[in-house]
Amino acid sequence: MTTPEATLDADVLVIGSGAGGAATAATLAAAGRDVTVVEEGPWIDPDALEPFSLEEMAAKYRHRGLAAALGNPAIAFAEGRCVGGSTEINSGLYHRLPAALAESWRHEYGIDDFSPETLDSYAQRIENELAVSRLPGAPPPSSALLERGATKLGWQAIEYPRVFRYDAAGRGVKQTMTRTLLPRAIEAGATVIPNCRVRRLLRRDGRVIGIRCHRTENGVAENLMIRAEHVFVCAGAIQTPALLQRSGIRGGVGSGLKVHPMIKIAARFPHPVDHGGVPMQVITEFGPNLSIGGSASRRGQVAMALADSSADYGDALDDWERVSVYYAAIRSEGRGRVMAVPGLRAPVVTYRLTEGDMSRLARGLVHLGEVLLASGATELYPSVADGPVVHNQHELAAWWDAVTRNRTNLMTVHLTSSVRMGEERSRTGADSFGRVWGFDNLRVSDASVVPDAPGVNPQGAIMAIAARNSDQFLAEG
Amino acid sequence: MCAVGPVTATVSEGLPVGFLAMLWLEREVVATLSPTLDDHQRSMIETYVDDSLRSMPEHLRVGVAAESILFGAWPRVQGALGRYDRRSMNARVERWKASRFDPVRQYVRLLHSLVLFAEHELTPAASR
Repeated sequence: MTTPEATLDADVLVIGSGAGGAATAATLAAAGRDVTVVEEGPWIDPDALEPFSLEEMAAKYRHRGLAAALGNPAIAFAEGRCVGGSTEINSGLYHRLPAALAESWRHEYGIDDFSPETLDSYAQRIENELAVSRLPGAPPPSSALLERGATKLGWQAIEYPRVFRYDAAGRGVKQTMTRTLLPRAIEAGATVIPNCRVRRLLRRDGRVIGIRCHRTENGVAENLMIRAEHVFVCAGAIQTPALLQRSGIRGGVGSGLKVHPMIKIAARFPHPVDHGGVPMQVITEFGPNLSIGGSASRRGQVAMALADSSADYGDALDDWERVSVYYAAIRSEGRGRVMAVPGLRAPVVTYRLTEGDMSRLARGLVHLGEVLLASGATELYPSVADGPVVHNQHELAAWWDAVTRNRTNLMTVHLTSSVRMGEERSRTGADSFGRVWGFDNLRVSDASVVPDAPGVNPQGAIMAIAARNSDQFLAEG
Repeated sequence: MCAVGPVTATVSEGLPVGFLAMLWLEREVVATLSPTLDDHQRSMIETYVDDSLRSMPEHLRVGVAAESILFGAWPRVQGALGRYDRRSMNARVERWKASRFDPVRQYVRLLHSLVLFAEHELTPAASR
């Protein structure tokens, strides 16, 4: 049942409640602005579902995690679709934007006030608010194994901090947006409307004057118009450009998508490995263009990773408690595109990897194999169809030729750069502070504006940039 | 607060996600990929795969459905002639898994991944 259209008014409307939207809402609400946040997905208690479980994927992931960028090879990707966005479903690993990249992007895209020092000051603020910290005790076995392998090889590895708060007993609780910045925004007067899909922005004379959206609450569907003085689109690197395009805004929007393609290995060890979380050790020896770390390794994910190799994996699957999944991720020099297509609700996403990317992925797979063998793994199943199962360092050489476009299974959870920011108008969709070209009251403040793939987990960079853009908005009055 | 004025021309939103239910071949492949499960467990997995396929972006779901119709044409003919049986589907799925044509391989990979994930998350005791 759909009721007639209702109308709401807001001073500042924030579309999306993930890392970018929550940081924006919290900053603006704390400054006394009247903020309304709309989120397409539901508000789900962060303790209600087991991390990385089937139930969580059904409830919190867009398309239940079944989205892919078309290309050769296709790249599967996952996005959050719930209040808190991807911060509710990610591993919680946190990293500041590398200073060298910030400096390079500042010049390449002509971004004002984008020095590493400026970004660090915002990062510090976010880290204080979210209690970014390192594990108080020893790392879990799945993480310690990476460290052990890296030490044996003489490679640099670090424990990534996480947005986790630890109690006296060392138990960690992930500080998702529904636990932190969104409650703070609400406390400061903001309103959050879940289950509300924005259909399009309403425009007039170079301004956005509101949105048309569709809200469902307790089985009742309602068309809603929200009028707003200022609109921040913070729906992520896929949904933000799609919404702008649906609203007829296309200049510099949707092209230039960047991802961190990941190739994986299911590694079998002679001893049981933990499966509850994601390892926090990351091998940075080859960074920022190649990083190596651990993935979610519940039983279902172990089964899928083993099957990706197309080897006979039955014995390893029976022994799944000794198997864990690890990845090598690259900064891709290829790029992709997000396109809102008339007649389709979901945007079409494409991505083209370069030959250099394929070579880096092969190198990443071999390095990942090296470190896992050094850490004591006895069997390695690569996410490459017909990629041979490897038992020792000598066999790794076979993987160089196995990683081909038609045989490699890739995925990503880091998507950025689909509405890049900067003063170089021909290469960007928004100015240095996320204001969409051609509109004085429409801003983008999420992964879309990050000018290129950061080579690290992007949520830290997204939140720092969102806080910076919000401060600029406040400074402009 | 500003007033609401005329709306600039926009792209229509189109079909809702969830418009294509599981097809015959998809059910057959799921059954082939989960041979050791009882009817109740298989039904749970089939429901999960069905929900997942319905949740896919429409353009991806249409692609998968087109493959299902194409690959399922000959087995359906065999069925009409009374010559179809599960074992022949098993051999067919094994061939598709090893196909050198990426779309064929990816078709089975998608369904296999869904079955494996559901099998090991929904029915861990059964798959031990």
